[in-house]
This record gives sequence, C-alpha cells and structure tokens, in this order.
Amino acid sequence: MNDFVKLEEKPFFRKLDYNFIIVILALNVIGLINLYSATHGPNATEVESLFISQIVWLLAGWTIFFFVTLVDYMFFSRMAILIYALNLLAIIYVTFFGKVALGAQRWIDLGFFRYQPSETMKLGLIIMLAKILSNRSPSGQGMGFRELFVPLLMVIIPFGFVVEQPDLGTAMMLSLIGGSLLFFCKVRRSIIIGALVIMGLAVPIAWEYGLRDYQKNRILTFVSPANDPRGSGYNSIQSRIAVGSGQFIGKGFRQGTQSQLEFLPERHTDFIFSVLSEEHGFVGGILTIGLFGFLFGLALRTAANARDKFGVLVTAGVTAYVFWHMFINIGMVIGLLPIVGVPLPLLSYGGSSMLTTMLALGVVSSVSYRRYLF
Amino acid sequence: MAEYIGSLEETKEYAPRFKIFYFVIVVAFLLFGSRLWYLQIIQGEELRRFSEKNRIKQSKISAPRGLILDRSGKVLIENLPGFEATLSPQYIDDLNSMAQKVGSILSIEPERIANKVTRSRKQNGPFALIRLKENLSREEVFRLKRIRLDTPGLEIRESIVRHYPLQESAAQLLGYVGEISKRQLPLWNKKFEGRLLFEQGDIVGKTGLEEALEGDIRGIDGTSFIQVDAHGRETISQASNTNIYGEQFKEQEPIHGNNAVLTIDRDLQEAAFNAFKTQNRIGALLAMKTNGEVLAWVSAPSYNPNDFATGISPQALSKIVTDPFKPLRNKVIQDHASPGSIFKPFVALAALQEKVITPTTIVHAPGVYYFGRRPYHDSIRGGHGYVTVYDALERSSNVFFFKMGIQLGVDRMFNYIFPMGIGQKTGIELPREVSGLMPNSEWKKREKGEEWQPGENLSTAIGQGFVNVTPIQMAIAYNSIATEGKVYRPFVIRKVIDQDGKVLKEHFPQLLRDVTQTQTTGIKIDPSTFKVVKEGLRRVANGDRGTAKWWKIPGIQMAGKTGTAQVMGFSADQIYVKCDSRPMHMRHHGWFVAYAPAENPEITVAVLTEHSCHGNTGSAPIVRDVIQSYFQKYHPEMIEEGIKKAAQQRKAPVKAPTPDVPDAQSED
Repeated sequence: MNDFVKLEEKPFFRKLDYNFIIVILALNVIGLINLYSATHGPNATEVESLFISQIVWLLAGWTIFFFVTLVDYMFFSRMAILIYALNLLAIIYVTFFGKVALGAQRWIDLGFFRYQPSETMKLGLIIMLAKILSNRSPSGQGMGFRELFVPLLMVIIPFGFVVEQPDLGTAMMLSLIGGSLLFFCKVRRSIIIGALVIMGLAVPIAWEYGLRDYQKNRILTFVSPANDPRGSGYNSIQSRIAVGSGQFIGKGFRQGTQSQLEFLPERHTDFIFSVLSEEHGFVGGILTIGLFGFLFGLALRTAANARDKFGVLVTAGVTAYVFWHMFINIGMVIGLLPIVGVPLPLLSYGGSSMLTTMLALGVVSSVSYRRYLF
Repeated sequence: MAEYIGSLEETKEYAPRFKIFYFVIVVAFLLFGSRLWYLQIIQGEELRRFSEKNRIKQSKISAPRGLILDRSGKVLIENLPGFEATLSPQYIDDLNSMAQKVGSILSIEPERIANKVTRSRKQNGPFALIRLKENLSREEVFRLKRIRLDTPGLEIRESIVRHYPLQESAAQLLGYVGEISKRQLPLWNKKFEGRLLFEQGDIVGKTGLEEALEGDIRGIDGTSFIQVDAHGRETISQASNTNIYGEQFKEQEPIHGNNAVLTIDRDLQEAAFNAFKTQNRIGALLAMKTNGEVLAWVSAPSYNPNDFATGISPQALSKIVTDPFKPLRNKVIQDHASPGSIFKPFVALAALQEKVITPTTIVHAPGVYYFGRRPYHDSIRGGHGYVTVYDALERSSNVFFFKMGIQLGVDRMFNYIFPMGIGQKTGIELPREVSGLMPNSEWKKREKGEEWQPGENLSTAIGQGFVNVTPIQMAIAYNSIATEGKVYRPFVIRKVIDQDGKVLKEHFPQLLRDVTQTQTTGIKIDPSTFKVVKEGLRRVANGDRGTAKWWKIPGIQMAGKTGTAQVMGFSADQIYVKCDSRPMHMRHHGWFVAYAPAENPEITVAVLTEHSCHGNTGSAPIVRDVIQSYFQKYHPEMIEEGIKKAAQQRKAPVKAPTPDVPDAQSED
C-alpha cells in the first residue's frame, strides 16, 4: 500500500486471482463427481446424458467467466439501466405469456435452452442497486426514507411480478439480495427495526391471503414432515436419512443407497447436497461448505480492495447472491429450512443456474482484475 | 499489495460493513457444521441402520373403477380380486437367470421377459414397474412366492382385474381397459385437467364405454408406504408405517369409482349376440326403445375383453387384429354401408309429401328402366307391373323409386331425409362415431367439383351411389317413422351413481327434432304421410308378397324393410349371378330394419349382416329373434294370445302357413 503507481503493465495471467479460480474449480470438480454418482444409478440409461450436458454447461460457464473478466465492469455500470429494463421486460413477458412449470410461470423456451428471466434478473438487480447505491455514503447514521425510496422501488417492481408468477423462491431471493445490499450500505437502525416489525405483521396476512395451498403445505410440512408423506414431507425425511446415514466419512462414491435406490427425490438438482453428504459424510459436507466459505472470503477481499464504490457494491451483491442460494439450499437439505426449489450454485445440475453463477463470479473476477491500474 | 491503487478514501468507508458480512458467513458455517455433526455423528449410526434395513417406499394403490350395470341393475362389468407379477428393474441383479426362473413358472419365454425389461429400462427409466403377468393362477402365485426371496425385484401384488361377464357378447359396446399409452397421457391430462391426473402405468378405458365413461367411473388412487429392504423386497416388521422419529405416516385409502347404469338390457343383449352367433353372421345390430334408450348393441365377429384385462398373448392379439372381418371395430357406429332398399321408405315420404304421387297413384314398374340410353335394372327380371306406393314398398320395386328419384331430384330428397338423421352423427356417447353421408348437389360441387348428374338421382333413390349410413343412423331414422316424426338422440348411459346409490348424473330421452313441425328449410312431413309409409312397411313383414313375410312373431306385427347393400358394382350380365356363389368378400351386405308392434311401436331394431347376400335371409331372422325376446320378456301375454289365436285358426282349416325357405330372388 506504499506504492500508488506502478508503471509496468502486468500481463493478463498475472492479474487473475488464482485462489478464486481454484476454489471455483474445486467446487466444480466436487459437483461433477457427485453428479456422476447421482445420475449413474445401478441401471441408469437415459440420465447419463445429464452428466454430459452439465459438462457442456460448465465449459460454457467458464467461457463466460473469462469473457466477463476481460470486460471492464464499469461497462455494467453504464449499461445498468438497460440491463435492468430488459430483464424486467422479460419478467413481465413470462408472467403473462411464459411456459408453465409446476404451477408457476417461469421460462421462455429457446429451443436448446429454457431461459428463466428471473435468474438473470437477480444479476440485473445487483448491478442496478450497485449503481444507485454507489452515490450514497455508508458512513454516518445510514440511509433514511428519502435515500431508500429509489433502490427499494428497484427491488419491489420485479418482486411484485415474480410473486404474481407465483415463484416465491425467486421472490424471496430477490428481496434477500436487495436487502443485503441495502444493509451493506447502512440503513438507519429505526428503519431496520420498523421493517422487521412490518414483516412480522405481514406474515399472518400473507399466510391467509397470499400463499397458494402447495406453498402453505411446504411450510406446514417443515413443521411436521409426516403430515404430508406424499409430498415434501417424504422428501424432507428421505433427505435427512440420506445425510445422517453418511456418518463421518460417508458410504463411498456411488455407494449411497438412499440416492442410488430412488429414495431421494430430485437427486441431481435441488437435493444434490444430500447425495454428497450420504456418500462422503461429514468430511465431504464440511469440506464443501468450507470451500464455499473460502469463496465468499475471497470475494469479500476483492470487494474490499476494489478500485471504486461500484466495484465494491457489485462484488458484495454477487457474494450475497451466491451465499443466499447456498444457505437456503443446504438449509433445506439438512432440515433447517422448509423445502424451497432453489439450486445449489456450482453443484446442482442445470444450465440456467450454472451460467448465471459463472457470469456473476466473472463480474467479481473482473473487479479483482482491475484493481491493478496498468 | 504494492500494486494496489484506488480512491481509498471512498472505498474505505465500507470497512466496518464487511465485518458484518464476515460474521454472517462464519455463523452460517458454524450452524451448518453443527447440524451436520448432529445428523451424521450423533444420529448417524441410527440413521445408517435405518437407511440400510428399513426403507419406506411410497407406493400407489390403484382405485377400483366403477361397476357398469344394465337397466335393471344386472352386472355388465365388475372387478375381481387377483394377483399380478411385477418386476422392479433397479433391483434385478442377474437378468438372464431371473428371466429363466420366472419365465418357466409363468410360461413366458425367458427372452421375452429379458427384452421387456431392457426395453422398459430404455423407455421409462430403471424405476418404472413392469407388469409381467396379470391375473395369476393360484398355482403361479404359490410357485412365485417360493422363489421370491431369491429373486430380487420380483413382486407379487394384489390387483384388480376388470371382468366382463358377458364376454364377447358386448365387447365393442363396453370396450376394454389397458395401460395408458405415452401418446394418450398428455392428451388426457389436458382433457381432464383439474379433475383427474393420469400417470405412466395407469389402467384406463381404451375403447367403448370404458373410454367414454373414464371421467365418471375412474376412482381416486390411494397411497401406501411399504418398507423394502436393500433388494427392494417388501419386509414385514413391527412398525411398518412409522419413520425413525416415531411419526405415523398417513396412508391414503383409494376411493372406489362411481358406478354407471346403462339403458342396455342384459338379456336382450345376450339374445341378440346369440342370434348372430347361431346363424353364423357377421355385422352389427342396434336395438332401442322408441324414446332413444339403447337396449342392445352388437358388433360381430367379436372378441373376449377378459383376454385384454388379463394381458393378452401376442398371438391371440395378432389374430384379432388381422381378422379380415375386424372384430375390434365397433360396426354399429364405425362402419359405412350403402343403405340399399332400406332407403326407399324415406324417398316415399318425400314423394308423398311433395305430392309427386298420392297413396293411390299407380306407377308402371317394368324390369328395366331406360334413363337416357342407359338401362337401370330391377332385381326381378320381369319387374313388378303396375304398383302403388304400398306395393312398391312391400315388394321393393326399384323402378318405382327410380321414377320417384327423377321427379324429386336429389336436393328435395336431401331436405326430407337428412333431418331424419341420415348422413349425420347421432350423438351417441361412444367415441369415434362416423357421420355417414347424405349427398346433395351442393355437396357434390364442393367435394368433387362436379355438377350433380340426373342419373345419380336414380341410384340415390334406391340407396346406392353416394349415400352412406351406419346401423345406428338407420335405427334412428326408422324410429322416427315408427314415432311419426320424432327424431331422438340415442343414448346408452342412463345414470351415474356413487357407491351409496346417490344419483350424480342422469340422462333422459332427448328429442332432437319433430319433423311433423316445419323445419328451417320450410319442410314438414304430415302424420298422414307417415301413416301411408308405415302401412307399406307393415306389409313388408306381413303382406302376401312382402319381402320379409317369412319371419313372424305370434301376436306381434313387425313393420320394416329389407335391403341389400352392394359391396361392389357388377356389369349388367353379372347382376343376376347368384350372390351366394361369389366369394365371401364379394357378397352383398343384407339389411333389415324394423319396429314393433306395427300399430303402436315400442322397439326399433336395425341389423346389418355383412356379406350375407340378402336382407331377408341374413338380417330379418336376427331382428325377429330380438324383437321376440323383447316381447317375451316385457309383454309375454301378447305372445300367448297370439299363439292361442293361431291355434284356433289352425283348427278352422283356412290355409297352412308357408314354412318354405324364402326365394332369395324375390328381394332386391
């Protein structure tokens, strides 16, 4: 920190944050090993193609990652309004004309790929909020109502449409990411307390009028899993058995009876962590969560060292984005949270999740890359 | 950090905020870590044991479909308990030896079992259950149970077997059930959206009423939780439906489907099918009450639907499918045929109402009629001489109706005949009814791009040419003569009732049209016109020269008309070649449609016997048998009285009844 200007320009490879890339690669490898096990049951035939396509998504993800690294992230700051607006339009489109999956309108069929605008909206929101909040100062008492009005509006508009879809998982994710960023920029204590009180009051009202039956069911089931053995109660119980039966070192690669023998639902997507815990035990689970922790630490360090306020905020936003996905997914798998359809970043099967996660991490990498001026 | 550069003052402001983020991440790590410790280390051993020995597996209990009953509550379709053998592919360890063992017990070739498993794995994934054989015999169940423990994946499950006590007598009407096809699955889920949910492997109605009633008689499947060991075998242990936390799993009982009551009379149905069988005929029959309630419905040749319910062998199936006379086809609503002479009464109605003739007009009907330069033949070389409309119907004169056809023209015929139900779907509940065809000049221009030819009026007037009908249409059309103008919608489902007998749906006779009232085309048919035609039809079965006079029922007068539908055209010199000497597939179809009693009709029966050459010898005896059975059951006193009268007449020597075989040549 003693030398502000260094005239020699560093080559591309030396400016990359290798720790960050290695942690992501490690999680990729764990994800692939695990997905192979989850999709190659004793008599699996068709599911093999899932493994191949995940590798394709992964390669596409890394391409995006490096491409975004090379783009100056200030480009996103300049484009923030456009990116946000396009995403919002796409969300409005799917809300009214999108393909219906599991009772919620979520995606547009692009033929080779099901595009879910709500996924990219999360990134659009991070960029938009980072742009607005980089004009606010995090010192002093924190933001009051006047400063909060515009950023809150940015969260509430997409939130409203996603709730209408009704995709409560994504809506919750949007508010968690938005809330984290606002909190990061410091909000007046009185407003935080007020918001908590209002939320407390809103829960019973939402329960009565807002939630669909299947959503209520999931929450009731969380309280008492045996109430709905046909639905998520069964999933929740089977997942807990899978995780617990892994014990300290696990049953071994492809030896997990819960996952290999059909007892686990959604093995390759939302419940991938239970496959991991069953086959690789406490050791594998802690290692994976530890890698995630390491990833967040590196991202926050990047944020702390960023060149400007937008860089700090966008990195903090991406960290919140990956963190909340991981938190909700693993919390659900190990029975700490109700069943919500949220994938585990970098480990779950799925193109949408893989590409957006790699895109987001690419933005962090870009911020890290540009802390060097030359 | 020598290379570090940035507006430090600006970004440094965030420093205290990072602490909160680091704190949250550490808390999350500790939370997850301790939860994993609790599950995997503290509860780990217990959960491991549970995962190895006791697994709760969700399984579906199929709900029984509703019963189908006849009009008086006699069973037409029921459910019988049975056993089926199934395989779970994911547990099979040695496919070939398993196939060998199981195949020898079930008498299925081992290669077929192995193929079935491989194909199902490919198509439905490794977890889809495969049905090996349904309706196992006691012996098979016993022998399978002995090898079950050494044969992972094999299961013997209780199942419900759909049973059709009428066997082949009502196969096409009732239909059969089978596993839902991959193509059907999304279609039905869309059709019954919000009401029923179909899944792979579900048994559904495939044809006939089983299909038409799917939405009404399907039950709601239940769920049970069974414990299986690591090889997928069901284990019986103390707490079979509690999980490790001691919580009780709620089983869901299947809900029995609702029952359906039909308008069918089981006795009449069997009598009708037996008439076809004993007389060795193929074809179709529809018997209905004059208000549209269907009493019997036969399509012959037939098949035994119980074979389908218990898993039919490929040989038996291919025999049914390749049969040239198409047992699977519901000929009552799916076979087109020319009506032939049974079309004539409708032409007579039009001619009388349009005042082309009066009931007393005498028309010259020679054996050959020249229209332009082309000769049109009667079935009798000598012709019928000078005839009234009564005689023309009684003896089925072609030339008389050629003349009517020329006078009327096709469009006037269409205006009278189409509203009586010919050339349009009747609206019966069964699926895949065909519409038939009643042509007019507009139709020909639209479909063929040609003008209507005057000569085509002649062939149309005797029910040949473009006219095409189904047996059910002819029943409806004759029924509208019997009731003097009332066109009913035929129906076979009387009501749907739940298991407690509460009526959920009820259907009543539905009058579609009354042609004695002025129609939208400005056409109506007076009751007096109907009376003339009805007298003609009465003479067909009762007059001295009637084409169906040989089949009588004591005490009951039938009224009807015979007809012959040409399967293919023949040149003039071949027309008089005896039909019976042609190969089977070239023989004409025979029609007889009748109602009874002639004066105050209660029942209408239409019969088409395919390749029987003549309506009077082929179809009329079947119609007579069915009508006789009806009156024996519902009005035995009328028949007794008739027998008594006949005996008295015989005592007074008038004239011996003519038991001679009818002369086939006397009918066209």
